[in-house]
Amino acid sequence: MPADTNQIISEHTLYAEPIFHFGDFQITNSLLNTWLVVLLVVIFGLYFKSKIKLIPRGIQNFMEAGIEMLFDVFDSVTGSRKKTLKVFPFVLSFFVFILLNNWLGLLPGVGSVGQVVSEHGKKVFVPFFRGGTADLNTTLALALIGVIASHIFGIISVGAWKYFNKFINLKALLEIPKKVLKDPSVLIVNPIKVFVGLLEIISELAKVASLSFRLFGNIFAGEVLVASMAAILAFGLPVPFMFLEVMVGAIQALIFTMLILTYLTMMATEEEH
Amino acid sequence: MENLIETFHLDLRLIIAQVINFAIVFSVLYWFAFKPLAKVMSERSDKIAKSLDDAKKVEEKLSETQAEFNKVIIQAKKQANLILEKAASDADAKKQAEIKRVKEEVGAIINQEKQKMQAEKAATLKEIKKEVADLVMAAVEKVICEKMDEKKDREMIKKMIK
Repeated sequence: MPADTNQIISEHTLYAEPIFHFGDFQITNSLLNTWLVVLLVVIFGLYFKSKIKLIPRGIQNFMEAGIEMLFDVFDSVTGSRKKTLKVFPFVLSFFVFILLNNWLGLLPGVGSVGQVVSEHGKKVFVPFFRGGTADLNTTLALALIGVIASHIFGIISVGAWKYFNKFINLKALLEIPKKVLKDPSVLIVNPIKVFVGLLEIISELAKVASLSFRLFGNIFAGEVLVASMAAILAFGLPVPFMFLEVMVGAIQALIFTMLILTYLTMMATEEEH
Repeated sequence: MENLIETFHLDLRLIIAQVINFAIVFSVLYWFAFKPLAKVMSERSDKIAKSLDDAKKVEEKLSETQAEFNKVIIQAKKQANLILEKAASDADAKKQAEIKRVKEEVGAIINQEKQKMQAEKAATLKEIKKEVADLVMAAVEKVICEKMDEKKDREMIKKMIK
């Protein structure tokens, strides 16, 4: 129908839409937003480096207070300041990256400024920018980095053999003939240990899935929520939801960060007996 | 899995791009923000710890100095007292010696005067005796009205006076 073909369809897609192509590579609107985050961080980094003085002033005070606060929070997870300092820059990067991505997705213009493209004979509105974390590619990448890093960190901390036995528990199997005369219960306990180790492998995959989908789901849902409210009444009504989304953005960034920190800590500790 | 990739438009290249993005953010934060900041923060805590330590040392030194100062003062006071005492006793001895000397001198002067006076007295007495003898002689001459031989006369007078 001609009336339908002229209608501009504006719908929230589950995926980030490509804005332009770079050879075979599609630059999506989420990737653009992430680049914006990277740009902001780089500018801030260059500016901040020159501002760091022994006697803190202005922004340095603020940053130091923030870092000290995060130190305390992270200490409660890792158990000691030494361990916290070891992983802090890595974990802090997650926090900053996710927080900025979440919040940049809420800026006015993100999701509302765009172009109209024809797709399958329909006119579809495609925004230029879309929250970086409202794309599963981003959150999946973050989750993979976090989980893989926790494994590398684990191997470095406890050694390859102990790390290997966390998943494929050869040590428990080899122990059976040695201990069976003294304590027959190992015949039951150690096969269970082996099975638990196999379950751990699945749980590692579950970690990636839960991390990526939690973040993506929250942020994407938030954007849809604010857009829906704006569609009902553009004046005033989205404001409380915007506040809510600012909170959600911060909370999700913190949750993701804390989970990564927990995984790092867990992987760095030896198996409990 | 196919379905998942289809639904969310998963693309390995996009994932890699995001990994690179994260790596950039991480390196920038690490090299430009966290590392210098951590360095400065630890430097500052070291400096503060050192300052506190120094302050403690200075305080200790101060109290030490104070104690030493007190000791020196006490010693100086003692010495001063000693010197004063010695000076007083010296002065006393000198005074005594002076007094003794003066007394001796005065004694000597008095003796001299006494001797002088005695000699004078003796001289005077002699003169008086001579005068009296003359007087008596004249009186006796007058009384007797006769002039005796001077030699006789003198002998007679001598006897009378004695």
